[in-house]
Amino acid sequence: MNVLAKIFYQLRKYSKAFRMFALVAGPGIIVMVADNDAGGITTYTTTGAQYGNHLLWFLILLGPVAYLVQEMTVRLGAVTKRGHAEAIFDSFGSFWGWFSLLDLVLTDWLTMITEFIGMTAAMSIFGIPAWITVLACWMLMGSMILTGSYWTWEKIALVICIGNLIYIPAAFVVHPSVPDIIRNSVIPNLPPGGFTNDLFFLLMANIGTTIAPWMLFFQQSSVVDKGLQEKDIKFGQWDTAIGSLLTVVVAMFLIIVCGKLLLGQPIESAAQAATMIMPKSNYVGTIIAIGLFDAGFLGAICISLASSWAFGEIFGWAHSLNHKIKEAPWFYAYYFFDLLLAGTVVLIPNAPLVLITLFVQVIATTLLPPALVFLILLLNNKKTMGDLVNTQLQNFLNISIVVVIIVLSTMYGLTTLFPNLL
Amino acid sequence: MNRIIGPFKGFWRTIKFIHNKYRKPKIEMTPFVKICLLALRLYVFVLIGLMVLKFIVTVK
Repeated sequence: MNVLAKIFYQLRKYSKAFRMFALVAGPGIIVMVADNDAGGITTYTTTGAQYGNHLLWFLILLGPVAYLVQEMTVRLGAVTKRGHAEAIFDSFGSFWGWFSLLDLVLTDWLTMITEFIGMTAAMSIFGIPAWITVLACWMLMGSMILTGSYWTWEKIALVICIGNLIYIPAAFVVHPSVPDIIRNSVIPNLPPGGFTNDLFFLLMANIGTTIAPWMLFFQQSSVVDKGLQEKDIKFGQWDTAIGSLLTVVVAMFLIIVCGKLLLGQPIESAAQAATMIMPKSNYVGTIIAIGLFDAGFLGAICISLASSWAFGEIFGWAHSLNHKIKEAPWFYAYYFFDLLLAGTVVLIPNAPLVLITLFVQVIATTLLPPALVFLILLLNNKKTMGDLVNTQLQNFLNISIVVVIIVLSTMYGLTTLFPNLL
Repeated sequence: MNRIIGPFKGFWRTIKFIHNKYRKPKIEMTPFVKICLLALRLYVFVLIGLMVLKFIVTVK
């Protein structure tokens, strides 16, 4: 009887914990899955086509890195109840505040253009003209936030996140070599040809798609908008951990698919990869195109929100998805303005879309180091964080990650600006 | 004319208000924080300088 009572007690405890987790989960999973945006999907298809399964170990390594960085925003948001932009303005003054805000706005807008490029390219594979795709996206993205409820928005976003998992069945269809996948996942190795400029560029692109400035702003603001408390941090950390696992799994499966079907072929975009795969496997090619659209859509709604939240925090506008349009007109106006502007650029004939994609990488590089350094400094501020400041181990891991990212992303930015530097 | 300039004046006033509100950093300025901020300033200026250089070289 005693044993049965204990089992019942344990089951109730776990069931209660799971229910709590289900309530708190969302921001971490959404931000991590949205991290695999249209640009990310392109990077993974290129990685798979160029190096097969050789870089799977590197992707696995990026999972914990993304978790450690993003987890800090959960604690910061839950403790301070302020978004990242406001935290920077308040703690580091106007200079860094304006710099971060303007850089974020510019990066987000340019990244959103790349999301629209991805979505229109994906739909063009099915013969849908760009203007119809853009118009449909505007309407869908607009209707998502008209409910005036963060919870509804989050549920819809989570459904879109499920769409990102579409690459998993595709990998089973192409029957890849399982021993090869396991070997390349567990044992760090360089592809044949060794360490070249191309490899360095691709490694950097993979880091760039895994840790982006907008993600810090988005997750902290969404934690605040959702109203997470200090007691919810544990669940927020699980949410982020599951999200980072999903982002790595999706990336790995896509690399496996492209490694199997496109190895050795030059790929410039995910849409090109989908078109090239179509004759080999119509099913897989279709999946890649649908996944690309889904990734671009999720990326666009999250990135646009990150900017709107940041502006709302600083300009003192009502800035919550829990507000109706009448209650937070500027917040929603900025959200729509961002989407309209990004979508319109894609529709301009002969717009320099390749140049824009390159520019995104360079601008993002300038924002990432300050954003990461500010995060570490804020998480070490005992006055605001209290007992939830970074532990010594967290500081060691996070500072190491930040230093490596700063060095590598600077090199990436420089080599993008000056291709003959290396 | 005032109708056109009016909103811009209002916007500029808001910018100035925000700028003054956050003028003084609230974080405790320990030597570590000071060094980090100085290093970041240098980093940003060098990188922006390089971007300007690249722009000039490209235009030429």
